[in-house]
Amino acid sequence: MKRILLIAGQILLAAIFIYAGIAKLREPWPQFAVAINSFQLVPLNWLEPLAKYVPWAELLLGLWVLSGFLLRWSALVTSAVLAFFFAVLIRSYAMGLAVDCGCFGSGEGPLGPKRLAEEAVMLALALAVSIAAFRRRQVPVTPDPTIA
Amino acid sequence: MRTLLLFVPVLALLAQTPATKGRPAPAKNFKEMGSPNAPVTLEVYADYQCPMCRNFFLEVVPSLISDYVTPGKVRLIHRDFPLPMHAYSKVAARYANAAGEVGVYDVVANQIFKTQNEWEQNGNVDGEVAKVVKPAEMLKIRELVKSDSHLDDTVTADVAMGNHDNLNQTPTLVFVSHGKRTKIDGALPYPVLKSYLDQLIAKG
Repeated sequence: MKRILLIAGQILLAAIFIYAGIAKLREPWPQFAVAINSFQLVPLNWLEPLAKYVPWAELLLGLWVLSGFLLRWSALVTSAVLAFFFAVLIRSYAMGLAVDCGCFGSGEGPLGPKRLAEEAVMLALALAVSIAAFRRRQVPVTPDPTIA
Repeated sequence: MRTLLLFVPVLALLAQTPATKGRPAPAKNFKEMGSPNAPVTLEVYADYQCPMCRNFFLEVVPSLISDYVTPGKVRLIHRDFPLPMHAYSKVAARYANAAGEVGVYDVVANQIFKTQNEWEQNGNVDGEVAKVVKPAEMLKIRELVKSDSHLDDTVTADVAMGNHDNLNQTPTLVFVSHGKRTKIDGALPYPVLKSYLDQLIAKG
């Protein structure tokens, strides 16, 4: 049962990242640059490289999680990324910035409690997958008595 | 007969000269700037009462004009998209378009954006416009704002175009290159705009 839940969580987490990446890549890159700029977090000359490469990174991260290769590490990286996004959203909300998240492409509307709750759920999912993946690897191996 | 035909264009030119001499012809396309043959056309949908539009017009558009519009690389089109939430956007657009008919569109549109914080308090666009035009021009502008029933025609056309482009905010930029329209919602910082324009121009 735990294994099925882990696989379901892994697929869901991968789907979120793959969808987020594809949604951004389908739009012209300046659209995501506008979203990044609305957070008032990075210098202007960072906008173009971030807008061009972050969507690809999300897509690759999603595929990595989906592949199951080194799952505990891929899940840990997604948890760290989502924790960073969550912190940035909390900061922007607290500052009252007119932020267009751009997380899943443009037109998501202004940042509000609903968007924050969605981000918190995604972070909780990533953390749950990470913990489950680590626990799965930590099952103690019984020593084989036949081996001298 | 052939000799007479040769004179026709010359006579037509002479006949036109006295009519246009001595007064600035009110450009029908006062909302447009730059070469019609530019490889990229940039349509900027804006609302005079929108703060992001104000920032875009005062901080980004001057560099855009000097680096791309004047050298003939980009044709710039201003499109009015007054949002229902702003009480004085339509009045401001009316003053700007009346100024366009009089031949002072750029200076008035710039003044309206520059003094947005003042006139949005009470709707006194007139007072702010009067500060940057000659009294005679102001009289003409007031007359047009008061009585020209066709003054909002371009606004209506722009809004229809915006709805066709699925606009949901201002400013929105529409890049037209090789017949393809690409919409970007929100104000692009100049370095991003510059890089994207260079990319589009290089393709052309």
